[in-house]
Amino acid sequence: MIKNKSSKPKRYLTTILVYIITVIVCFIFFFPCLWIILAAFSGTGSIYNFNGFFPPNFSLKTFEQLFTGVTDVSGDTVMYPYMTWFLNTLIIACATAVIGTLLLISTAYVISRFEFKARRKLMKGALVLGMFPAFMGMTAVFIMCTQFQLLNNLWGPILMYSTTAPVGYLVQKGFFDSIPTSIYEAARIDGVSNFKAFYKITLPLSKPILVYTVLTQFTWPWSDFILPKLLLQDKSNYTVAVGLMTLPDTEFSRFCAGSVFIAVPIVLLYFFVSKYMVNGLTAGAVKG
Amino acid sequence: MVQRITNYFTALGKVIKNWFIKLGKNTKSFFVNLPRNTKNFFIGLYQIIKHYLITSQYPVYLSAIVMGLGQVFNKQYIKAALYFLVEVGFILFMVFLGGNYLSGLITLGVNQADPILGIQGDNSIALMLMGLVSVVIIIVFIYLYISNIRDCYRTRNVILNGKKPNTFVQGLKDLLDKNFYKTVLAIPLIGVAVFSVVPIIFMILIAFTNYSSSLEPPTDLIDWAGFESFQTIFGAGNISDTFFKILGWNILWAILTTVINYFIGLGLALLLNSKKLKGKVFFRAFPILAYAIPGFITMLAFKFMFSNGGPINYYLKLFGADTIDFLGIDSTWTARFIGLFVNAWVSTPSIMLLATGILSNLNTDLYEAASIDGASKFRQFYKITLPFVVFSTTPVIISQFISNFNNFGVFYFLRGSIYSSGYFVASDTDLLINWLYRLSIDQQNYNIGGAISILVFIITSIISLLVYVRSPAYRKEDTYR
Repeated sequence: MIKNKSSKPKRYLTTILVYIITVIVCFIFFFPCLWIILAAFSGTGSIYNFNGFFPPNFSLKTFEQLFTGVTDVSGDTVMYPYMTWFLNTLIIACATAVIGTLLLISTAYVISRFEFKARRKLMKGALVLGMFPAFMGMTAVFIMCTQFQLLNNLWGPILMYSTTAPVGYLVQKGFFDSIPTSIYEAARIDGVSNFKAFYKITLPLSKPILVYTVLTQFTWPWSDFILPKLLLQDKSNYTVAVGLMTLPDTEFSRFCAGSVFIAVPIVLLYFFVSKYMVNGLTAGAVKG
Repeated sequence: MVQRITNYFTALGKVIKNWFIKLGKNTKSFFVNLPRNTKNFFIGLYQIIKHYLITSQYPVYLSAIVMGLGQVFNKQYIKAALYFLVEVGFILFMVFLGGNYLSGLITLGVNQADPILGIQGDNSIALMLMGLVSVVIIIVFIYLYISNIRDCYRTRNVILNGKKPNTFVQGLKDLLDKNFYKTVLAIPLIGVAVFSVVPIIFMILIAFTNYSSSLEPPTDLIDWAGFESFQTIFGAGNISDTFFKILGWNILWAILTTVINYFIGLGLALLLNSKKLKGKVFFRAFPILAYAIPGFITMLAFKFMFSNGGPINYYLKLFGADTIDFLGIDSTWTARFIGLFVNAWVSTPSIMLLATGILSNLNTDLYEAASIDGASKFRQFYKITLPFVVFSTTPVIISQFISNFNNFGVFYFLRGSIYSSGYFVASDTDLLINWLYRLSIDQQNYNIGGAISILVFIITSIISLLVYVRSPAYRKEDTYR
């Protein structure tokens, strides 16, 4: 009885503490986002005109500039062609999402489901390949592209992203490992070929991992900056990431508006499919 | 007597005559029958060979001499033609291009270009790259050559056992069934080879050349330089000093970020899973928001936030304090702590999501049992939760460590334009990967860059292998399969 008496206020205290910490943590995560969103609706562009975190006045001017690209503070029109950057990003991300997912899913399925001589070797090879700094290959590709004048082609990043995607097959393999083999054995007795088994049995069962893969394959090029920075050096070929990096302090609200515009679709996507994201992440992690 | 002699000669004459007649007859019949006999001879020979070829393993040897020849005797004509075309194509390639490329890979070009005289010299980089591609082609050819022999051998065994070998159409069908894995893996393997393996080998080779900012191919020739770049890194000098300073900070950074992010992420997961907390879905939205925002936006935003004209300095000024040059040239440790903070902001949500998923798999009976036994909350966490989560996430910790070790973004955005004194084209917050970028992309010192890439690989692979092999997840890998 004594124990219970003393623990009741203590329990309230911990509950309050939990709420306080949670609110603080959420504030830390939310605050920069709020700041960026507010700044995107700022009436003035430069960060030096701000009252601390808050813009001096609000307007939709920056978004107008972003989409129409007609006027600028200096009257320059082609300085920051945001819509072009946006379309470039969209093309690269969509193409990578399609090609990369296709390669990645099929590779992971085969490694998970088939026993063949080179299987172990391939897995070890992928492990070793993953340990090289991704940067190393990029530098080499950059040197090659400069030597052969292949820079400024959207296909460069698309091919790099999607062909190197299968190296990260482990998450998807973990998922396929969890599909019971008895399903396949039954199918084989019925004389179903492996290809048919793949797209009639495996694919319908793999919706979560498919969503996860498409999403990761899409968001990676969507938010990557190193590769496009190296391979796309013409202003008209920039992706949004590269373009936004070139904005100076005085174009702060343009940076924010551009960021909001590119972040909103991806954030919405994440919230809609966050269930799949968590499933995909844990599936890969637990199985290794 | 005379009679005897006459008889003798008559007999002799007869014998000789007969002999000649016989000879004539034989000669005639020989020539008359020659075509038939020859034909019969060759038919016989053919039948013997055929007998051997059909009922033995000899066609396998033929396949080893000319690709596809053995398949002809297996009556797999389409396959034979394809193999033969591969061999012809390969020989043509080697004669007209491959030979030059291979020798170019060894010499890296011998003809110096001269723009004044208009001489087009050798492009060392192109030769090196095409040499590598030739090596890949040779490897693929060797694979096909062996597969050709193996295919012939297998088909022979099928035939010798009295069964019918697969038809070409059947072979194609097998590519969707028995050999489905080959079909599927072909494109990813080629893609990874061309866009990942070849570039990496190329960069490794560059590390052993003298390709630095002073040389500009195709005008200048590049040459092999052995271990010179490694000597520059490990010898005495500015580059060597910079390397060890950056390496020290890089290891510290990797350990700090991995530990901080892991425990904050785990803590967040426990916090947002707490039974005392209502409205979990709402609160969990904030880390997911942070997770979903592209990293470059966050990092650029933090750069703006800590910049000299940024909001934090605005408030410092407002309250009468001096502005702090958070990311400036002299603010080594401030910038480093900001880097740690920014990195935690960016990466903890993913670990939180991961840990949430793993915690939901945790068996709650264990806690009840522990509570009955009187174990404290802390002890429960330490003895049950932590081992379980650590066990489940060992691969993640390793990949986190490696990606933190090679975390390019944070300091590229925060202090990308700063060059500290005492460092060779680097800032005092740079990680090896940032230095690598500055050295190779900004300064075109590709050979040193390549050498550093190799060192980064060696360091990360040793660390991760050590951790990985010792981890329980690895030891029990087979139980998962």
